[in-house]
Amino acid sequence: MMARARIVTMAGTPSLARRLVGSPGNALITLLLAASMVVILPPLVRWAITDAALFPAVPESCRAVSGACWSFIVAKHSQILFGIYPDAQRWRPLVVCVILLGLLVFSVRPRAWQPRLAIAWFAALGLSWWLMAGGAGLVPVGSDLWGGLPVTLILTVVAIGLGFPTGVLLALARRSTLPVIRLLATLFIETTRALPLLSILFIASIMLPLLLPEEILPDKFFRALIALYLFASAYLAEVVRGGLQAIPRGQYEAGEALGLPYWQLHLKIILPQAIVVVIPALTNTVIVMIKNTSLVLVVGLFDLISSGKAALADPAWSSPSIETYLFITLIYFLLCFGFSRFADRLERRTKVPTK
Amino acid sequence: MERASSVFWTRRRRDLAYQTLSLLAVFGFATLIVATASNNLAERGIEAGTEFLGDRAGFSLSETSLPYSPDDSNLWAILVGIGNTLVVAGLVSLYSTILGLFLGIARISDNPLAAGLSKAWVEVARNSPPILILLFLYSAIGKVLPIVDAVTLMPHILVSQRGFALPWFSHPGSALSMALGAAAAIALLLWTNRAVTRAQQRTGRRPPWLKFVSLALGSIFLSLVLFTWQDIKADLPVANGPDISGGIVVSPEFFSLIVGLTFYTTGFVAEIIRTGLLSVPRGQWEAGYSIGLSRWRTLRLVVIPQMLRVIIPPMTSQYINIVKNSTLVIAIGYADFMVVMGTMINKTSHAIEGTLIIIATYLLINLSLSALMSRVNRLVQVAER
Repeated sequence: MMARARIVTMAGTPSLARRLVGSPGNALITLLLAASMVVILPPLVRWAITDAALFPAVPESCRAVSGACWSFIVAKHSQILFGIYPDAQRWRPLVVCVILLGLLVFSVRPRAWQPRLAIAWFAALGLSWWLMAGGAGLVPVGSDLWGGLPVTLILTVVAIGLGFPTGVLLALARRSTLPVIRLLATLFIETTRALPLLSILFIASIMLPLLLPEEILPDKFFRALIALYLFASAYLAEVVRGGLQAIPRGQYEAGEALGLPYWQLHLKIILPQAIVVVIPALTNTVIVMIKNTSLVLVVGLFDLISSGKAALADPAWSSPSIETYLFITLIYFLLCFGFSRFADRLERRTKVPTK
Repeated sequence: MERASSVFWTRRRRDLAYQTLSLLAVFGFATLIVATASNNLAERGIEAGTEFLGDRAGFSLSETSLPYSPDDSNLWAILVGIGNTLVVAGLVSLYSTILGLFLGIARISDNPLAAGLSKAWVEVARNSPPILILLFLYSAIGKVLPIVDAVTLMPHILVSQRGFALPWFSHPGSALSMALGAAAAIALLLWTNRAVTRAQQRTGRRPPWLKFVSLALGSIFLSLVLFTWQDIKADLPVANGPDISGGIVVSPEFFSLIVGLTFYTTGFVAEIIRTGLLSVPRGQWEAGYSIGLSRWRTLRLVVIPQMLRVIIPPMTSQYINIVKNSTLVIAIGYADFMVVMGTMINKTSHAIEGTLIIIATYLLINLSLSALMSRVNRLVQVAER
């Protein structure tokens, strides 16, 4: 019996029934999992769907039910997403989110890697800044009113955008033939990578006020941005270094034989190949950075989680924190999952033939 | 490259100049930072130095694994914080390694139910920020716990606002001596196992030393239990209105941070295990079946030993990530090393010293972890003759 089941397994995909209950072990696993689903699912469905309140989006509808209070999310979604940004102007942060996400998706495609990518970045960031801050035809909105998803995305995109060139420089420095430069780069990269992001954010928020005079002291937002930038550049440096190591020596020798100086050799021959190799690791780092920006909550920045917490403080509602955190987790999940799916497709399409 | 060379600017001199310049720049920058910061601190009347470490800490910590009171010194508070961080990181590493192993195996299982559920777990864990998982769990637990009186969940397992109370035993010796005894026994077993393997490699026969040692250790343990039997009692939790006395109490904070971080890390460990399993060629499975091993024994005896070689380096960075992610417990108010340092710096204003302590501690923890894991890595590599 066992032997036959195994031969079937190796010959190809066996039938669904056989995969579920084909062997005693499989049947036991199926039974256990199905039993736990029977125990867990009904109360969950009752809480999330049957007993939940959705419309009308007023506090009374939540008090009337025992399940989830989705009405709160319906009523407050705009405040959670955009913080205390003026109501009438909320289309502006929405457009900024679309621009920044589009910029990220646009930039990880090798086809976009041309000098005009830098122009696209400056244009997109300038446009986002104008949309957020206003002026020149738009109602001005002070940065103390910014919050929610656009803050999260601005932090991610700027940290990655600045961190990537720095990371490339650090990676080249770490592979340099000059021992002092190599040592300094290694020291910076390894120390930054050894520290939790939270402690880097914390150090930036306590050390910068000590280092700079009051007048030019960057506010909380820029302190967090500096911390995220340093963090991103150390991680991106290691990713790029991995790519550099994958380039065969012959490529360097070919460049040197042509008489190319160091920078031309790297910009024209080595880096374009090295970065294509590490696209999966790069997109992974982007996802890690999106997830990591959630930590700026700890240094008091008004990101998605903080605006969720602020929405929860409304005394009219019975503080449905589970629903709010689920909603925010869902936003992060969609961002990260969507981006990783896009990256997978990209990876399959741009598979570069090796050798 | 050669175009830039001239009689004076030889390549060697230019390299030297670059390096001197960058060294000077970095040193200058570092000196500037330290000088400005200590200047600013001096203006506020704070002297740099390490004397503050001996002063009374004066702040309380919610939950500690080492004994602590606000009257202890700052230095002890830091050590208590490190202890808390290591307890969390250690437990999460242990649980997520075990769970991740099963989840990784389930990912490549034939059973669609097992494979589908484990894939869902992995995707949710990998694409959600861990801090949100913690916040979600903590608020969910806060809603589930009974508000007024403690409730009996199962016989002798109580639950109240203070957390879950489980039965424990009141033991005669101290916890420390028990832990040391257990560690010594495990070390002895590991050492014997190595000696046995060496002897087997030398002579081709496996000497029965392991049996003798286990027998000896077992009888020592049994006699200890027999001699102190009168003193060992079960320490059962007793409900007393909203309070619980006796037993061992797991606070809602501790419970949600262990469960949350384990859930998150397990997703990553499972992916490492899965890639490790897939890296073992199919022929190895078939070879195992063809000499009559069952699927489970093939996995344990043939595939997993070969998988270990692939997974040790990524697992090392995963363990280091656990230490780093344990700082997120700040979000639900558990006092880890970073919370202690933050409170201390706010209270004493010794920012520079505090920053250096933070950097040094994490470097120390990470470097020791890497050193430990590279020893493990050497053990599992192919023994080539």
